[in-house]
Amino acid sequence: MTDKMKTRFPLGRGIILAVLLLFSVIQLFPLVWLIDFSLASNTEFFTSKLLIMPKEIQWGNYPRAFIDGHFLLYLKNSLLVNTLAVVVVLVLSICSAYAVTRMRWKFSQAAKSVILLGMMIPIHATLIPNYMIYDFLGVRDTLWSLLLPYVAFSLPQGLFLAASYMESVSKEIEEAAIIDGCGTFRLLGSIITPMMKSSLITVMIMTYLNNWNEFMMASTYLSTSKWKTLPFSILEFTGQYRANVAVQFAVMTLTAAPAIIIYIILSKHITKGVAMGAVKG
Amino acid sequence: MKKILVSLLAAVMVFGATACSPSGQQTSGGKTVIKVFSNLPDRTTGQGLVEQKIFDQYMAENQDIDIQVEALDDEAYKIKMKAYASGTNLPDLISVWGQPSFLDGYIDAGLIAELDPNDYDGYGFVEGSLAGFSKNGKLYGLPRNTDMIAFYYNQKLFGDNNWSVPATYDELLALAPKIAAAGISPVAMDGNDKWPISIFITDLLVKIAGTSYQAETLKAISSGDFSHPMYAEAARLLQDAFDAGLFQPGFEQQDYGTAQNLFINGQAAMFYMGSWEMSMANNQEIQPEVRDNIRAFTMPVVSGGAGVATDIAAWNGGGHSVVAKSPVKDKAVALLNYIYKPENWTKIAWENNVCMSAQDFSQYKTGSETPVQLQLIDIFSQATSISGTTINDLGSSDFKTKFEDLSQQISIKSITPEDAISALAN
Amino acid sequence: MLKDKRVIAILIAPSLAAFIFAVLAPIVLSFVYSFTNSSGIGRFTFVGFENYSALAKDRAFWNALLNSALLAAGFVLIQHPIAILTAWLLDRVGGRLETFFKTAYFIPNIISSAVIAILWKYIYNTNFGLFNVIARFFGGEGVNWLGTGVAIWSVLVVLVWHGFGWGMLIYYTGIKNIDPVLYEAAAIDGCDDKKMFFAITLPLMRPVIQVNVTLALISALKQMETVYLLTKGGPGNETQFVATYLYKQAFQSGNYGYGNTISVVFVVICLLTTAFLNRLFRERGI
Repeated sequence: MTDKMKTRFPLGRGIILAVLLLFSVIQLFPLVWLIDFSLASNTEFFTSKLLIMPKEIQWGNYPRAFIDGHFLLYLKNSLLVNTLAVVVVLVLSICSAYAVTRMRWKFSQAAKSVILLGMMIPIHATLIPNYMIYDFLGVRDTLWSLLLPYVAFSLPQGLFLAASYMESVSKEIEEAAIIDGCGTFRLLGSIITPMMKSSLITVMIMTYLNNWNEFMMASTYLSTSKWKTLPFSILEFTGQYRANVAVQFAVMTLTAAPAIIIYIILSKHITKGVAMGAVKG
Repeated sequence: MKKILVSLLAAVMVFGATACSPSGQQTSGGKTVIKVFSNLPDRTTGQGLVEQKIFDQYMAENQDIDIQVEALDDEAYKIKMKAYASGTNLPDLISVWGQPSFLDGYIDAGLIAELDPNDYDGYGFVEGSLAGFSKNGKLYGLPRNTDMIAFYYNQKLFGDNNWSVPATYDELLALAPKIAAAGISPVAMDGNDKWPISIFITDLLVKIAGTSYQAETLKAISSGDFSHPMYAEAARLLQDAFDAGLFQPGFEQQDYGTAQNLFINGQAAMFYMGSWEMSMANNQEIQPEVRDNIRAFTMPVVSGGAGVATDIAAWNGGGHSVVAKSPVKDKAVALLNYIYKPENWTKIAWENNVCMSAQDFSQYKTGSETPVQLQLIDIFSQATSISGTTINDLGSSDFKTKFEDLSQQISIKSITPEDAISALAN
Repeated sequence: MLKDKRVIAILIAPSLAAFIFAVLAPIVLSFVYSFTNSSGIGRFTFVGFENYSALAKDRAFWNALLNSALLAAGFVLIQHPIAILTAWLLDRVGGRLETFFKTAYFIPNIISSAVIAILWKYIYNTNFGLFNVIARFFGGEGVNWLGTGVAIWSVLVVLVWHGFGWGMLIYYTGIKNIDPVLYEAAAIDGCDDKKMFFAITLPLMRPVIQVNVTLALISALKQMETVYLLTKGGPGNETQFVATYLYKQAFQSGNYGYGNTISVVFVVICLLTTAFLNRLFRERGI
């Protein structure tokens, strides 16, 4: 995009920026609000104000949240289960999207529709049946009991996005590679995957977001604290600190922080991926 | 990229292998494991603290026992219990509510172990407190406490403003606008969870019908016929409260925490909640000017009602049961019996100003009770009758949700008493 | 090579297995339970189509569906037009500001819906909430935002607000993928910005819009956590969505069989909606 383009704006750059800025204030407010109240005392919280200037900043809320919320253990579990879920979803999305959009077989469309059905299934309908299945298989209260549903419920979106991408680009490069004798798996790994990087990042973020804050399944399938994930901190705290909302806010801020940090890091990659896509046109 | 993927997948396999090691095993380090599923997630204050103290004490006395606690908040607890009930790996000792709406299903499914009533002869359980935990003459659980509903109020706030504790329901309603004029809400009510409103209705029913409340209500639930005038009357009185502005504005969507915080932060003069909240009086999270001034009174009499001031709404709700198919059933029963030895639950709960147990605790008075604790115990010991289980918990869980929905709608006048009664009928 | 059965099997089998294991199997179980009077605990008997005929007469269920439709309309008619416009404007800002705005808009999506629900509960609070504080400042009366009659609209505002960043990001990526040469050519031809938006941006965005609208409709149907934590479907059943109603029936009312009936019908409705959308988009040639 050239500078010339940017000056050709009907409303004027200033107004545009003002509108965008207003939107960003609206969208950023919860974060500011969360942090603000996590540093206040409980009494200040229930005053009739928008934001509070704590009389005395209550840093003490954080150590309590950190220790009583089992922050490190739950963070480790969250990172582990989410990273595994993301990796598996990515691999399966690429493979299955290729199989249903490029490979020629009778049931390709049927297979795609079937997997996409997963997107329409409300997880809450599967809680108890899945519990029975996991209990029967003996994987309840293990990493598998989270990993399996997380992958299964994120895969449809992954397949959906990956397949949409593959349908939208021409097959010429791939066909050339095949003529050159490139095998399917090498083709997937070294040609297609790099090509659809920006789509895959979207899949990655989506999977991550789907599961990072998930607690319905986690609280149903897990019993011991061995594999409990970060949302448990919030869950356990609402019971434990009912009379102290400020400490609850500290734990919410703490649990939100890793996701936001990871997002900001990934956000750069998105920009890069998008820019690269734009240059190559 | 490929290498990373391969190594990550390998990691999955490894974790899979470790994850697949048997999880249902009953020993750990040569100790017998007793799995406890509790509805008391806060293990550092209140009832959770008492429960944990007793467990720690038990493990110290019995080196061969390892008690593993999983605790969730009420709502999450009830859902997880259903999941447990659908599988084969249940915990050994569980929290229960001695009410048909909760316990009946589990008893009928044969999941709850029968207890021997003779074991508890010397335990001093208050008369009638085991009723909710029994079915067809068999005992299935033990009650933790005697719960009572009360209006907690801020004595200093009342004194400073010359408000007096109401002796009649009309006085209570007349007090509401005076308090509102001072810029605060009269009564903080947890309307979002709905059950406190149902308890409020029970409270009114007791004051309207007196001792016939429970017998009549059981009849009404089994026949679906709520035409007895007391139900319409209670609904009308609740709507009078709405008209008088007794509860904070928007109470129907404010939860337990919000309502409680309105009270403990001086935004509401009263808080309608169960006797388990007597521990507010020594909760260090609460500012001292409120904490030290918390007092309580019960629902005042209604005009023309058969119930007197000492007919109160009180019941035995929470308790413990042992799972019938537990591989360590005998040990779980032994633990259960240990918890309820008077010198354990009753004494520790009382000493920590947490709650009134369902057993005789008169011998454990310490002299350091909080004023509100003494008030509540006085009210209870002077009661001429107690209501037993509240109306919402007297039927099935389907009846419970239906009744609680309707009580919320009645309380904001989005349904007339007549329509609510006919909705209950079908 | 593209017909190699073995390769196809290797590529698709794990995904199908995940589907069968975690999605199909529970649905089949649900289907079986939908014909029972199970309470979720213990024994049950088969009751034929009793649950299904009860569902047809259940006003709370139809109201929940209506709420889902309202939400879908809110997404498609309010959230998405704003998201496309914002993405379009954002594309022209450039530099660090562009990155900042893009990041900022997306932040609510990263925060747990538990936190979002609590935040809005306080914003809507009648006593000390932000909206009523502002209203009183201007001498107005406080509104009971989550009270009867108003609650559903307040809930919609939260959901439209919460999902905004996600829609925006996908549109933004779509816009970034449009070849700038096209705009330059149009500029040389003397097209103004408005014309460019309607003649180039929108038509080229069609596939992206299709993806986004489909995703939005599905998320409207599946809405659960935020609503549940914000209003519990109340007052009464006013703000019930299908998933929250299903949850309430299955887990709170102890009507597990009936809850499964709802989820079977729910799945069918979701499938029909998607099929309808696909057809619509195909006929319009989008």
